[in-house]
Amino acid sequence: MTATETLTPVTTAPSQAGHRPPTFYRDPVSCLQSIFGALLLDAGHDPVAALGARWEFRHIPGDVRSEEFYFPGRTPDDTAGSMMPYHPVHSAWSVPTSDEPLAELAALIDSGVLPIAAVDNYHLPFRPAYHDVHAAHLVLVFGVDRERGLVLVSDTMPPEFAGPIRAEDFLNAWGSANPADHQDAFFSNAGIGRRYLTVEVGTPWPADDPATLLSAVRANAGDLTADLPADAAHWTGLAGLRRYVDHVVAAARGGEADPLKALYTFGWSQQAMCSLHGEYLRTRGHRWAVPALREAGRAVESAAHAWTGLRVTAAHGWPDPAAAAADLHRHGTRLHRRYEAAATAVDRAARALNDLTV
Amino acid sequence: MSNTSSGRFNVWGNSFAAEDLPAGGTGVVVDAVTFTMPPTGTGAPDNVRCAGQYLDLGPQADLADWLYLLAAGERRVEDEIALHFADGSVDFEPVRVSDFWAAPPAFGETKAFATLMHYPIHTQFGVPATIWCQRVPVTRRAPLTGIGLPHNVALHIFAATLQPAAARPAALEVTR
Repeated sequence: MTATETLTPVTTAPSQAGHRPPTFYRDPVSCLQSIFGALLLDAGHDPVAALGARWEFRHIPGDVRSEEFYFPGRTPDDTAGSMMPYHPVHSAWSVPTSDEPLAELAALIDSGVLPIAAVDNYHLPFRPAYHDVHAAHLVLVFGVDRERGLVLVSDTMPPEFAGPIRAEDFLNAWGSANPADHQDAFFSNAGIGRRYLTVEVGTPWPADDPATLLSAVRANAGDLTADLPADAAHWTGLAGLRRYVDHVVAAARGGEADPLKALYTFGWSQQAMCSLHGEYLRTRGHRWAVPALREAGRAVESAAHAWTGLRVTAAHGWPDPAAAAADLHRHGTRLHRRYEAAATAVDRAARALNDLTV
Repeated sequence: MSNTSSGRFNVWGNSFAAEDLPAGGTGVVVDAVTFTMPPTGTGAPDNVRCAGQYLDLGPQADLADWLYLLAAGERRVEDEIALHFADGSVDFEPVRVSDFWAAPPAFGETKAFATLMHYPIHTQFGVPATIWCQRVPVTRRAPLTGIGLPHNVALHIFAATLQPAAARPAALEVTR
């Protein structure tokens, strides 16, 4: 189907959310955490408490897609549930089943669900990459006016945009092949295919209190320190991180570029999760006057910041992987040490939380 | 419009707008500290990308309290700088610099300069490019003779100034 066919004039009332969606942004997060955070705010919840409760390491060999919103899910096909396992939030990917894809989005909006559309920035006039760089991204759709040929979208990432764009532009972005682009080795070369995410924010919503946090950090710690079988499909925990770093360094020494390109993309998912967990612990440590919790949060944030050296070294180094191998080893080793130190700090914080809750 | 493609501060070719920065060679004061700006907008290198370089401070070694930096990160950077002293001792001190791309000061830095963001083929509004003023403590009471920069290509330094040791401050009252 072409954009022109879809834009045949229709006499349909516009579909539009009752208000402009809120925005949520932190500089370490991608469009995925940012847009989920916006929906959580819209539902009346604190995004940091939900997105920041889980702290894990998870790499799924062969699974990384070159999209800004890639996330290695513990639950297949439920990205939100994988990111927020302690909260009743779930998501599912869909593609339109009818020959009127905008009508499908409009019907969702009319039912109170704001769909998240995968898009190629190249076709979006408000993105810096417009008519320059192909890159897979997410926007929140909060209105469809088929009669006037407009789609209302909210983009929570800088330069931040909320308003109408031409339906033709939206359809081009939504249906883009997102071809390989030498200017962006990390988020191009992954077809968009008119995918969209729907998110369900359910009940009951967990309390934001010391007992609930204690339960989460205990579960996180159990997974983080678990043994890793040699044939594990998911590389998880501290052992999985060690295995991943060894894999990247060996690939670089062997002159393989693809694992370095994938590192930048995959690493964003882990850096964002780490950063939000650190913020969650630190801010609750401040709110509840638990110094050990504040310190644990800062230690986790320090682990998040260690992703920068590894990711940026890979991003600059993939054209000559062998030359980057020593620096990747240095940054990967430091990253692992910071995860270990943070896990120790979180364990101390858990004891302090336990004292608070008994 | 100036050339927006040659800066290439990060891997996407984003950079600062030189016309919004102080002229090269001029003294600028940030946080009551004077820095000498590098020449910008000429196409020549105007910052140091940290790759383990050693800065020899020469024979005029003196006591210092702080190393002040004008710097920016490709995302948040938290690393270590090696401080070398006249008696052969070395201390590693933390250096923390925030992202230059549309970010707040995550480590409590002062915003030194913010410019429009350069993209390879245009100038972007609404995405500020920031140079931060950050400081690194020099705790050892010995003459500082050299500085070892981290091996971290995400950290860029535009200017540095050593603040001489001040008179010994009054002791803080420790109540807890």
